Amino acid sequence: MKFTLIYPKWKKLKGQTEFHLPPHGPVVFAATLPGDVEITFVDENLETIDFDDQADFVGISMMLTSQVKRGWEIAEEYRKRGVPVICGGIATMLHAEETSLHADAVFLGEAEGRMEQILDDFRNNRLRKIYDYLTDFPPIASVGTARRDILKRQLYNYKGIQMVDLFHASRGCRFDCYPCCMSFVGGREFRPRPIEKVLEELATIDNNRLYIVDNSLSQDRAWEKQLFREMIPLKKKWCCHPIEDDDEVLDLAAQAGAWFVYQAIFEVSDFIRDRVKRYHEFGIGVEGTILLGLDRHAEDDIHRLIDFLVEIELDLAEFTVLTPFPHTRAFDDLHGEGRILSYDWNDYTCDQVIFQPKQMSPERLQDLYEEAWEIFYREKPQPYRMFELFKRVIDKEMADGSFHGQQRPQTNRKFGRVKQL
Amino acid sequence: MIEDLILKLKKEIIDQLQLEGMTPEEVDPEAPLFGEEGLGLDSIDVLELVVLLDKNYGIKIRAAPKEGPKIFYSIKTIAEYILDQQKK
Repeated sequence: MKFTLIYPKWKKLKGQTEFHLPPHGPVVFAATLPGDVEITFVDENLETIDFDDQADFVGISMMLTSQVKRGWEIAEEYRKRGVPVICGGIATMLHAEETSLHADAVFLGEAEGRMEQILDDFRNNRLRKIYDYLTDFPPIASVGTARRDILKRQLYNYKGIQMVDLFHASRGCRFDCYPCCMSFVGGREFRPRPIEKVLEELATIDNNRLYIVDNSLSQDRAWEKQLFREMIPLKKKWCCHPIEDDDEVLDLAAQAGAWFVYQAIFEVSDFIRDRVKRYHEFGIGVEGTILLGLDRHAEDDIHRLIDFLVEIELDLAEFTVLTPFPHTRAFDDLHGEGRILSYDWNDYTCDQVIFQPKQMSPERLQDLYEEAWEIFYREKPQPYRMFELFKRVIDKEMADGSFHGQQRPQTNRKFGRVKQL
Repeated sequence: MIEDLILKLKKEIIDQLQLEGMTPEEVDPEAPLFGEEGLGLDSIDVLELVVLLDKNYGIKIRAAPKEGPKIFYSIKTIAEYILDQQKK
């Protein structure tokens, strides 16, 4: 069976450096397909879809709300040609009803152990409109090694530097942060993968640099410490979401190759100041994901926040505007109060004000958002800050003998801006 | 003296960063290296510049220096930094 798996394109943050990481959802999903399925993967951010590719069955993997409208268009194109389409992924779960209007089948939940049955339904022409396993998680030990072999690796190379490979060691999140949908899609129970399965998968990744995409590693101290201990001999270098603030854990993380963490920052606080300082003490960089537009944010608060980020020597900042994704507490509040200004999912890119802020006009918040990028990167431009992070990882690699130089034949390979949707 | 160095640097940078179709005459030595109004270099280009300084001038930048953004502001500031280092 020829199965074409598509990852629809989306518009990146305006202030963000243009880069494309090898997607994770599709390769994890691909591992759930039986071995005799012939998979062709197309990342539309970097390739053009051939709708006449003679696929028997098409899967559309959508992670972001800003991918869904494009995903639906793609589904319609294939269905016009008589090719059945199934949609899955986080954004499919967030937009299940709408997506079911555009696809033959919608898969909700985690796919391990489910695909044999669905392919059987497909072969017997009895696909169900919805496969709802949203709260019925498969055993975490059944998560296999992701099928990175379906990726065209040369596409994820920028000027001879291979982009990080994405990897996950756990699912679920016991936190339920205000703007986040993870508790809806993955449940609030932390589900760590068995360490031996994690190591088995890590051994297959031909890349020294990783992005561990788990929601937060800071959820089970004993497991986290064991994970880091086991990773030390691998000499990988990696970025991730928060790590537990504990001397032993941070020390093990640093030894295991922690390069930098993404830290959500909503406001000026001693907690964040200390957190960033602690990471730095252990040689771990911090990229802040800064959220602007909460009800408690007045104009002065946002200005103070930007100054604070410079003062605490945050390594990088990615500014975002509060975006009320469906199935989040933010959506429930703003929708309930009639404050959402756009339900066009293409606007849900996190750099557009699509709701009525409490303490200012949408236009003023939009201006402050633009100013935030400009002010933070004024003294030390973004490329220089990114260079500093790169230098940090190269120095670490040189120290432990794991450094590989640029791949010279690919040094002229660059990413262009993605075509606007 | 600095003019000669700036011209040499322009040629080396065009070559090292593979700035295809660009000639030394077209490169404003005082233009910022970063940003749309400047040369638009990225982080990997800075890494290349660090390699260039080591290879061609024997200047090793081990950790990202605090004064880095001032050194890597423009081709002229890089030239000034090289001259300064050569005096030491």
